[in-house]
Amino acid sequence: MLNQQRSLSEIPKMSGASQAERAVLEEEFNWLLKEEVHAVLKQLQDILKEASRRFSMPTPGLESQLKQENFILGSSTMDQVKGVLTLQGEALTQADITLKTAKSNQVMHFAFREEKQWKLQQIQDARNHVNQALHLLSSRDESYRFKTGAEVNKLMDAVMLQLTRARNRLTTPASMTLPELATSSLMKMFSPPMPGDIMVNLYINLSKLCLTIYHIHAMQPNTTKNFRPSGSSVLHNPGAMFEMNNAKFEVSHMQKVECVVPWLNDTLVFFTISLQLCQQLKDKIAVFSSFWNYRPF
Amino acid sequence: MCTRLLQQCRTCHRSTENMSGNSLVLPIVLWGRTAPTHCISSLLVMDDFTCIITGCHDGQICIWDMTPDLEISPRAMLFGHTASITCLAKASSCSDKQYIVSASESGEMCLWDVSDGRCIEFTKLACAHTGIQFYQFTLGTQREGRLLCYGHYPEILVLDATSLEVLYSLVSKISPDWISSMSIIRSHRTQEDTVVAVSVTGILKVWIITQEANRMQDLDPLFEEESKPIYCGGCQSISFCTFTQLSLLVVCSKYWRVFDAGDYSLLCSVPSESDQAWTGGDFIAADKVIIWTEDGCSYIYKLPASCLPASEHFRTDVGKTAEGSIPPLVYSIADRTDKQLLICPPVTRFFYGRREPFHKLLVQGDSAGRLSLWSIPDTSPLQPLSTAAELQVSSTTSLQDAFDKLSPLSAGIIDQLSVIPGSDEPIKVTASVYIPSQGRLVCGREDGSIVLVPATQTAIVQLLQGEHMLRRGWPPHRTLRGHRNKVTCLLYPHQVSPRYDQRSLVSGGVDFSVIIWDIFTGEMKHIFCVHGGEITQLLVPPENCSTRVQHCVCSVASDHSVGLLSLRERKCIMLASRHLFPIQVIKWRPCDDYLVVGCSDGSVYVWQMDTGALDRCVMGITAVEILNACDEVVPAAVDALSHPAVNLKQAMTRRSLAALKNMATHKLQTLATNLLAADNADKGNLQKYSNTSLVVQAMKTNLTDPDMHVLFFDVESVIIQLLTEEAQRPNPTVVSPETLQKAQGAADKGGSYLANKIFKQVKETMKETIKEHLLDEDDEEEDELRRREEKSKSLSLLEYNLTMDTAKLFMSCLHAWGLNGPLDEVCLSRLGMLKPHCPISFGLISRGGHMSLMLPTFKESLLRQLAQSTGRKLSLSEIVGKGTYGVSRAVTTQHLLSVISLANTLMGMTNATFVGEHMKKAPVRPPRPGTPETPKKTAAAPQVSSPAVQGQIKQGWSQLAAMHCVMLPDLLGLDKFRPPLLEMLARRWQDRCLEVREAAQALLLAELRRIGQSGRKDTIDLWAPYLPQYVDQVSSPGASTDPAPPAPLLNRFPWKPRPSVQRR
Repeated sequence: MLNQQRSLSEIPKMSGASQAERAVLEEEFNWLLKEEVHAVLKQLQDILKEASRRFSMPTPGLESQLKQENFILGSSTMDQVKGVLTLQGEALTQADITLKTAKSNQVMHFAFREEKQWKLQQIQDARNHVNQALHLLSSRDESYRFKTGAEVNKLMDAVMLQLTRARNRLTTPASMTLPELATSSLMKMFSPPMPGDIMVNLYINLSKLCLTIYHIHAMQPNTTKNFRPSGSSVLHNPGAMFEMNNAKFEVSHMQKVECVVPWLNDTLVFFTISLQLCQQLKDKIAVFSSFWNYRPF
Repeated sequence: MCTRLLQQCRTCHRSTENMSGNSLVLPIVLWGRTAPTHCISSLLVMDDFTCIITGCHDGQICIWDMTPDLEISPRAMLFGHTASITCLAKASSCSDKQYIVSASESGEMCLWDVSDGRCIEFTKLACAHTGIQFYQFTLGTQREGRLLCYGHYPEILVLDATSLEVLYSLVSKISPDWISSMSIIRSHRTQEDTVVAVSVTGILKVWIITQEANRMQDLDPLFEEESKPIYCGGCQSISFCTFTQLSLLVVCSKYWRVFDAGDYSLLCSVPSESDQAWTGGDFIAADKVIIWTEDGCSYIYKLPASCLPASEHFRTDVGKTAEGSIPPLVYSIADRTDKQLLICPPVTRFFYGRREPFHKLLVQGDSAGRLSLWSIPDTSPLQPLSTAAELQVSSTTSLQDAFDKLSPLSAGIIDQLSVIPGSDEPIKVTASVYIPSQGRLVCGREDGSIVLVPATQTAIVQLLQGEHMLRRGWPPHRTLRGHRNKVTCLLYPHQVSPRYDQRSLVSGGVDFSVIIWDIFTGEMKHIFCVHGGEITQLLVPPENCSTRVQHCVCSVASDHSVGLLSLRERKCIMLASRHLFPIQVIKWRPCDDYLVVGCSDGSVYVWQMDTGALDRCVMGITAVEILNACDEVVPAAVDALSHPAVNLKQAMTRRSLAALKNMATHKLQTLATNLLAADNADKGNLQKYSNTSLVVQAMKTNLTDPDMHVLFFDVESVIIQLLTEEAQRPNPTVVSPETLQKAQGAADKGGSYLANKIFKQVKETMKETIKEHLLDEDDEEEDELRRREEKSKSLSLLEYNLTMDTAKLFMSCLHAWGLNGPLDEVCLSRLGMLKPHCPISFGLISRGGHMSLMLPTFKESLLRQLAQSTGRKLSLSEIVGKGTYGVSRAVTTQHLLSVISLANTLMGMTNATFVGEHMKKAPVRPPRPGTPETPKKTAAAPQVSSPAVQGQIKQGWSQLAAMHCVMLPDLLGLDKFRPPLLEMLARRWQDRCLEVREAAQALLLAELRRIGQSGRKDTIDLWAPYLPQYVDQVSSPGASTDPAPPAPLLNRFPWKPRPSVQRR
C-alpha cells in the first residue's frame, strides 16, 4: 500500500515521463490485473462465505433443523420490560414478553401464538444481498483474465452495492409511523392479545435485537395541546402524537430493551472489511487510470 | 414491510407535481462526436417490433428505431433516473399509445411515452425492483393494465399501469423470500390467470389472480395457492411455453429444467457443459428452447420427447431423479469474434413477434452500447444435428457506430476552436460552466486549457449556416493555460453568491491542482496544491458561514479529501482527509461551524471548519439523521457528487426554482429612496433573473465521458427580455420621473403580469443607476481595478447583444425551412435568420425534471420513416427545420407555441431584425458597478431605419407566425406533420405570459378548425368524462337529443382571455 501511495503522488510530475517509467508502470498495472485482483477477490470470497455461513440459509423442507438461539432482552437499570426471544435463522419462533406497569405494578405476560413466527425481514434481506455479492464474485474465478481496469471497477461497484445494501439493512432499521406500528401484523401475533394502550416493535439495529414498547393514551378531545402528528421514525419519544380511526393518541411512555446477537456482529465486521477491501482495490486501479487516460498535447 | 412500501409510495406520489412542466423551456443538444457511454443493463423490444428500448447502468434509457428488415438506429435518450436501470417493461397494450415503464436500482419508477420520450408518471418506492411484467385484464368492456413487480422484497406488488399506484400485493404464507423470477400463465380454458414465481431459495409459488382479485382495491394481500420446493437455487428465469401452454422452462446458472405447467412436475433437467453459467432462456417453438450464457453465447436445443405434450412419451420421465442427457443442439450463437473489451456481462433477451412480420428475435445489448440482433429461423439446418450450425448475426450497431456514420458529424459546442493540427478528433471538453450574466461559456478541456467563449455565438457556428463559416477561430475567445492535464471541474463562484469577486473563476484538474483565474484579464491568480488526487468537485459554502469560510470554495478530490480553499487569503484553511471511502455528499451546518461529509459507504464525518478537527464519525441511523438534519437547516446547500445524473436532475430543478423565486421576490412598493435600501442579495437575483433566457448546461452520462451541452431556451424569459429592452429603448440613459410615470401608467393600464415584471425590471435598472451616481466616489480599489481593466481591454471578448442573439439562434432553429420560398428569403435577408446545417436535436422536458433528448442519429430514422410514407428517398437538407414537426405531437406543440409567441413579440418591436449594427453592441443599459464593460460615454441614438423597412420586418414576422399557426399542416402534409396536442394548448389558454397565451389560443382555434366537425366531436367525446358534473344540470332538454354542433360551441366559449387577471 505504501508503494501505491508513492506512485500516486508522482503522477502529476509524469507529463514528461520517460519511456522506461511507462514500461514499469505498464508492468505494474499488468501485475495488478493478473495477480493482485484475483488475490483480493479470493480474500473477499473467503470473508463473504464466512459471513454467509453465519446467516445459515434454510434448505427447503429442513427449516426445523436450523439452530435455535435464545436471547434475553433486558436492561440493568430498569426491570419493567423483559423479553425472551428465540431466533431461528431469520425468524423469531418464540417470544416471551413480561411487562410491569408502573402505576398498578401489575405484571403482564405475552407470548407468540401457537404456530406463529415473526420473520425479521432485515436479516433475510442482508442474507440475500450477501449471497448476490458472492454470486457476482464467483463468476470471475482464477482462470478469468481481467483486461481493463474499468472491468474491475464495474465488478467492484456491483459487489459494493450489494454489500452496502446488506450492511444498511442491518444498520438502518425501517422507520415507521405510529399508526403503521399500531396496524402492523406484529401486534396480532401475541397471546393474550396486546391491550389497546400498548404497542410493540421488534427490529435489528446494528448487531442488536431490539424490542420497543410504547404505552399510549388517548388525548382528550378538548385538550389545549397542539396536535402535531409525528412522522416516521425508528424510535418515537414520549409525547409523540398520532391519529387513528379519528381518535388522537399520545405516547406516554417508551421502553426499549436490546440484546447483542453475536453472529450479527460478526457479519457486520465482515461487511465492513470487505467493503474496505473493495474500495482499496478500486483506489489501486484509480492510481493507474490517470496514466492510461493520459494523452499528450 | 409491505404497508411501509405502500405508504411511502403514496406520499411520494402526491408530491410529484413539479413546476418544470409549467414553463415553456426548449432544450437543444450539442452531443459532440463521442457517443454517450451506454452500458446496457436491460432491454425491451416493443410488441410491434418498431422500437427497441435499452436501459443503462448510468440511468439513461435509449430508444432505438427498428425497420421490418431489422435495421436499427438510435433515436432518443431519456434522462431522469438517478441510478442503474434494473428493468424495463411495456405498460400499455394498445398500439396507438406506446408506454413503457422503467425501474431503477434506487427504487424510482417512471412511465414514458415511447413516441416522444415524455415522462407520463413517476414514483419512488423504498425498494428496488428487479423485474416488472405487464398484465392486462378485462373487466366487462373495460381493459385495465397492471404491473406485477418483484425485487428485493418478499412480495409481488401489483401496480396500476397508468398511475403507478400500488393496488395490492401477492404474499407468501410459507417461507416467504425474495422472488427471483416470475411468469404469467394465461389460460384460455378458465377465466383465471396464474402467476408462477420462483423464490431465491428455489421454491415455486403459484398465485391465482381471478377477476375478483382484480377488483380488489383495498390493501388485503393475496396469498399463494401453491408452494412447492423445486430445488432450483439461483434461478435466473422462468418462462411459460406460449405455443403449447403446457410447459414451463426454468433456467438456473448450472442447469435448465422443463416442468409441466399443470402440476409442476419435473419433465427434464439439463446440466450446463463445462463451466458456463446460464443466465436465461425461452421457448422459441413448441419443441425448441433457446438458452443463453453470461458471456453472451446462446444455444438452441431440441426438447426431448418427454417434454413435448404432442408426443406419446410426454411425462414418461416424471419421477426419475437422474439428470437427463444433453438434448440435441440445433444452433449455437457465439458471441462476436471481433468482440471489443466488454466491462460487464451482456444482456440477452428473446422476443417473439405476434404480428407481421413474425420475427423471432434474439437481442443482445452490451457494455459498449452495442445492440446485436439475431433472427431465429423456424427451420432446423439441413446438416446432421451432431454438429450444431452457427447462426450469423442479422444486424448490429452501437451508439458510437451510429455517431461515426453521421455526415456531417454531430457537433460539439466548441469543436471549431478545438481542432488539433494533424488530427481530426477535436480536443474534448471535460468540464464546463456557463456564466449567464455575461452569456459566456467556460470550457475546460482534456489538454488542460480553458476556453472562454460567447455561448450564443459558438452555438450559431455549430448549428447554423452563415458568413461566420468563412472565419477561422470564430467567435473571438480567450484561452487560459495552466493545468498540466485534463480539467475536471470548473466553478464560477460569483454566480452562486454575489459575495465572491466576479473576476474569479476556479478550476480543478487531474494534476491535483486548483487554480484561481481572473477571467477579465486571463491572469492566473493562484495555484492550490493541497490534494493528493484528481479534483472531482468544486462547491460554494452556504451564505451564513463564518466570514472566513464565506470567501472559500470547497474542493473534493479523488483521494477522498475535502479542502476549504480561501480565495481571499489564497491558502487552504482546512483539509479533511481521513475518509476511507469516496465522498458522496457535502453538507453544511453553518450555525455550528460544521462541515458534514457523507461517504459512499454510508458513513458520515462531521468536521469543525474553524479548527479542522474531526468532531464525529458515525454510521447507521445516526448518520442518516445527521444528513437529514442538515437538509432542514439549509435545503439548498446539498450537493450530491456521486452521479452525474443526480447532478443533472438537481441542476434542472434548481434552475427552475431559481427562476421562479426571482419572479416572485421582485416586489418593490416604493420608489427611489427605498430602491437604495435594497440589499445586495436582491441585486444578485436581478442579474440572474435578467439572463435566464438561455442556460447552457453541460452534461455527461458517465464520469469518463466528455461534456455534451444542452442549450435551454426559456421562451417566457426571452420574451420578457426582448420587451424589457424594447421598453428601455426610447431613452436609455436619462432616468426621469416621467419615464417612471409612464411605466407606472402602462403597468396600471395593461395590468398584465408581464407588464408588471417589465416595470419592475425598469425600476431595478434605475435603482442601479441611481446607486451608481450616488456612490460614485467608491473606494479607491474599485477605481484602480477599473483602470486595470481598461488597460486589458484589448483582451476582452467581443461585445454583442445577448438577447437578440439568443432570439436569432432560437428562431433560426425553430423555423420550418423550405416550405415557403419567398418567406425563407425574407427570413434570411430581412429578418437575419440563418438556416441550420442539418436537422437539430431538440429535447422535451416533462414532469419532475425528466427529459428526453433526440440523438443526432434521429434524422436517420426520420428519413427512413418519411421515405416509407412518401415512397421516395429524401435527402437530409429536405428535412432541415421542418423535420422536427413530424416527430411527435408534444414536440410540435412546444415548438409551435414558441415560434408563434416569439414571432408575435418581435413583430411588436422596433427594428426587430437580426442583421445590422445593433447586433454588435451590448444592450443599451446603464452598466452596473464593477461590470467589465467600461462605462459608455454616450448611448448611440437608437437606429430606427426607414418606416418602409420597419414595415417589411413586421410583415415578415407576421407571415412567419401565420405560416406556423395555420399553414403548416397543409404545407407539410399530414404524413410529415404531427398536429399539436389540444390538451397542452388548452392548458395554456390562460398562461401567465400574455404572448404565450395568445399563441396558444390562436393555435388551439386553428387546430380545432383543422380537425373539422368529426374531429371536434371525437374530442368532446373523449373529454366529456372528465368534465365537471354541473354541466349536465344546466343543460337544456334539447341537449339530450343530439350533441350540440361543435362549431357554434367554439363561439360560445365562456372564458375569453382576460389579460387583466393575474394568475399565480
